[in-house]
Amino acid sequence: MSLPVHTRLLCACRRLAFRWRRAELDRDLAEEMDFHRALKAQAAGELSHIQMGNMTIAAEECRDMWGFLRLERLMQDIRYAARMFWRTPGFTAIAVLSLAVGIGGNAAMFTLVNTLLVRPLPYRQPDRLVRITGIFPRAAAPFFQQQSRTMDIAAVSPGSEFNLTGAGAASRIVASATSANAFSVLGAAVAMGRSFDPGEDSPGRDGVVILSNSLWRTKFGGDPAMIGRVIALNGMHRQIVGVMPPAFSYPSAQVQAWVPMRLDPSNFLEYWGGEFVPLVARLRAGATAAGAQREIRPLIDDFRKTFPYPMARDWNRDSTAVPLQRDLTGDIRGKLVILLCSVGLVLLIACANVASLLLSRATTRRKEIAVRAALGAVRSRIVRQLLTESVLLALAGAVLGILLGTGALTIFKSLLPSSTPGLAQAAIDWPIAAAVAGLAIVTGLAFGIAPALSASQIDLTQTIRTGSQRSTGAFWTRLRGGLIGAEVALTVVLVVSAGLLIKSLYTLSEVRPGFQAQQILTVRVSPNPSFCTQRPACIALYDRLLAGARGVSGVGEAAIANTVPLDAEQPDLAVDVEGHPKSVEHPAPMLWSGAVSAGFIGMLRIPLLAGRDLSEADGAKSAAVLLISASTAKRFWPGENPIGKHIKAANEQQWRTVVGVVGDVRQYSLSKARPDWIDGAIYMPYAQAVREDGQIPAAMTLLAKARANMDGPAREIRSLAQDQDPDVPVGPVQPLEELVAGSIANFRATIRVFISFAAAAILLAAIGIYGLISYWVTQRTYEIGLRVAIGATRRRIVSMILAQGLRVALYGIAAGVIVALAATRFLASLLYGVGATDPLTFAAVTALVLGVAVTASLFPAWRASRVDPIKFLRVD
Amino acid sequence: MGKPEAPEILPGTLDLLILRTLVPGPMHGYGIAQRLRQVSDEVLQVGESSLYPALQRLLLNGWVKAAWGASENNRRARYYTLTAAGRKQLASERAEFARVVIAIEKVLKMA
Repeated sequence: MSLPVHTRLLCACRRLAFRWRRAELDRDLAEEMDFHRALKAQAAGELSHIQMGNMTIAAEECRDMWGFLRLERLMQDIRYAARMFWRTPGFTAIAVLSLAVGIGGNAAMFTLVNTLLVRPLPYRQPDRLVRITGIFPRAAAPFFQQQSRTMDIAAVSPGSEFNLTGAGAASRIVASATSANAFSVLGAAVAMGRSFDPGEDSPGRDGVVILSNSLWRTKFGGDPAMIGRVIALNGMHRQIVGVMPPAFSYPSAQVQAWVPMRLDPSNFLEYWGGEFVPLVARLRAGATAAGAQREIRPLIDDFRKTFPYPMARDWNRDSTAVPLQRDLTGDIRGKLVILLCSVGLVLLIACANVASLLLSRATTRRKEIAVRAALGAVRSRIVRQLLTESVLLALAGAVLGILLGTGALTIFKSLLPSSTPGLAQAAIDWPIAAAVAGLAIVTGLAFGIAPALSASQIDLTQTIRTGSQRSTGAFWTRLRGGLIGAEVALTVVLVVSAGLLIKSLYTLSEVRPGFQAQQILTVRVSPNPSFCTQRPACIALYDRLLAGARGVSGVGEAAIANTVPLDAEQPDLAVDVEGHPKSVEHPAPMLWSGAVSAGFIGMLRIPLLAGRDLSEADGAKSAAVLLISASTAKRFWPGENPIGKHIKAANEQQWRTVVGVVGDVRQYSLSKARPDWIDGAIYMPYAQAVREDGQIPAAMTLLAKARANMDGPAREIRSLAQDQDPDVPVGPVQPLEELVAGSIANFRATIRVFISFAAAAILLAAIGIYGLISYWVTQRTYEIGLRVAIGATRRRIVSMILAQGLRVALYGIAAGVIVALAATRFLASLLYGVGATDPLTFAAVTALVLGVAVTASLFPAWRASRVDPIKFLRVD
Repeated sequence: MGKPEAPEILPGTLDLLILRTLVPGPMHGYGIAQRLRQVSDEVLQVGESSLYPALQRLLLNGWVKAAWGASENNRRARYYTLTAAGRKQLASERAEFARVVIAIEKVLKMA
């Protein structure tokens, strides 16, 4: 019967009102029926007993009608479930906690995946944005923009450091240079002020800057009046024209400001060389991604011909257009997927565990359920009651899980590069909470359905008569064994992954980085590049700093270097090498180029393998010299004496003489000697050093070796650096050891997470096996008693039960090893110095899981061996 | 849960019959059952196990009102009165019922 909405609403209101008048309604009904019966008796002249029975049913039905029947039954189920949980706190705690771990991890990962991979970029029509892969000189931006028929193209540099002065203390910020059309191509609006005007990337008009929301807040107090103010970036005056909204973080979250990328064809080096930049583009109306991809190849070919110097024919041959979102998340996508799979595994394990716990509980509750069935509860009602319990468990797990998830999210975030756009904005929000609640209900139903069905399938008379816990269907017992086996298998996969990562970390920590970092303090000093156009000024500044640092009490040695190992600087220099002429096929080799003071090599204990070290005598006016690393010597002059050979920067005339060979140093990362595009490493004396642009390096790191205590010298060194010049930003003082540790902090964090996944999995599996074997023992108490009675020894009983546990574990391990063999290759990108199918790790994990299985079976086995045959044979 | 006297009344029509019975004026539960029996020449026997739940349902839907009053033999009895909404419901249910009866008739009389 379908009623109109308003009738239904009124109905519900009346029911609500009835709730408060229950007693009155009951009295009314009783009196009314009494009256009815009296009249009827009068009419019939006798009292009909059949009709009296009907009266009771009628009263029941009326009462049902007053209330919200379904809701009340649900409440009743929930109350009952809550009572059950309260009575078995151990079971409840284990079930809720394991679910919370699984659900919490998933909530955090869903949030990350949703924010970074799924949610569209916060720009207009984000699906029309593409990245043209590869990097290009500035000249490419106007060329591509004019020639392309399918795209509007902008250049956005990844960002570099600038000195910010004219707004409080001098500081170092990261700014990205963009072509003037970048913001309109991206479809991102400023929050305040204006975006770059067309033409503001031409020389003379580029004195403008747009601030990020965070820089505007921290450095300019969030004052809207700052629009129009002039600040200096690297000494160049720029007017603040706009502020971006907080959510804008392109090209990375590290970028704090945007300046126009000067497009000046007359500045040959800057326009055609210098830093190559990435291109982003928006598909024009009607254009397709496929069309854009087809267009890129000929565009690059045409552009290559306009180069004023020869470019390799295969330059940017693989360049294509990929969706911008995929480009932004390319590096972390793999890691996210691995993490997502891992937390998914943990949740599966938790579900299997809870399902198996519920199965065994269903067995112990058979008598209670049988009594309920005997009192008239239909099967569906019992199943519903049991499902209510499991869903309630899952929801409790979800609530706790969301709390855990906020914690887990912070940890997961630390695993990803902090520059990832949008990462800072990731937080567990309502849609995620709703998704988690949905997940909880689904998992609750999933792990509850088998136990509920098994429990409701009861032979009434049998169970009530004996109260026995022996008569479960073989199917459910096998299912339970299967669940635990699967759990063990998943555990093996997670533990193997963690094992491989731990082994990688161990290998990494054993890597000899080629230098000693102990007791060395570093501080970054970064004058404006313009300050160093006069080389002597810069050299004098650092001479003063060195002399000052050596005078600090507690400091033994001091040195300067344009980069210290593992500080993420990349001072790459294109060079000419004597005896290795360049060609189109073999362009100028790229070398890592250090600019260091005499004493740097000695201070870091980098071994001198041949020739001599740099000395104070290698000044600005003396003969140009350099040191090369051992691998560089081997690369360019194998089998020859490299001392006396010559190398020079590609943009200079005068050759520099190799005077010494030193040991190789892990400059870029501990795991890799150097990137593929770097052919070697050189060290130049600071006074003679050049950069790509022909200038002397301006930003340098001051190193000081403390004798004992590091705190005092650290303070003094910093104030010494700050006293030199108020316009020169000075970074924080960092021990070199911290820099080294920091370079693998991300890796360590990843491993910690995997270890916790693996630990959770092992713990859950142990609980699962323990539960399974205890249950098995309970089921066979009678049989065991019988065996003992006819002379089985305790040892025999123990080994029989252990064998049971081992069988499940072995099946699980075998399956787990097979899955792990297939799955761990997805981990390969995270591993170092260990194969994805490392036999030692697999063997160790197998042994560990077997050990855990035996331990978990041992206790129930021991208990079984204590069975007193008389007592147990008498029970049933 | 069996309802012995239910088969004599088409399912869903009891509400309609009660509403119709109340058209002349307020009545108590026993009176309604008596009236139905008399009018239908003893064919429609409404037992209390279906009558009282039905009355509760009508109350809930707001189609009848109930008030305590004195009965013919001066006992306290609960009298049910048709409400405006009840009259409207009666009219629409009657029309619907007539439509169904005619339809059934047609089917039964087909050649």
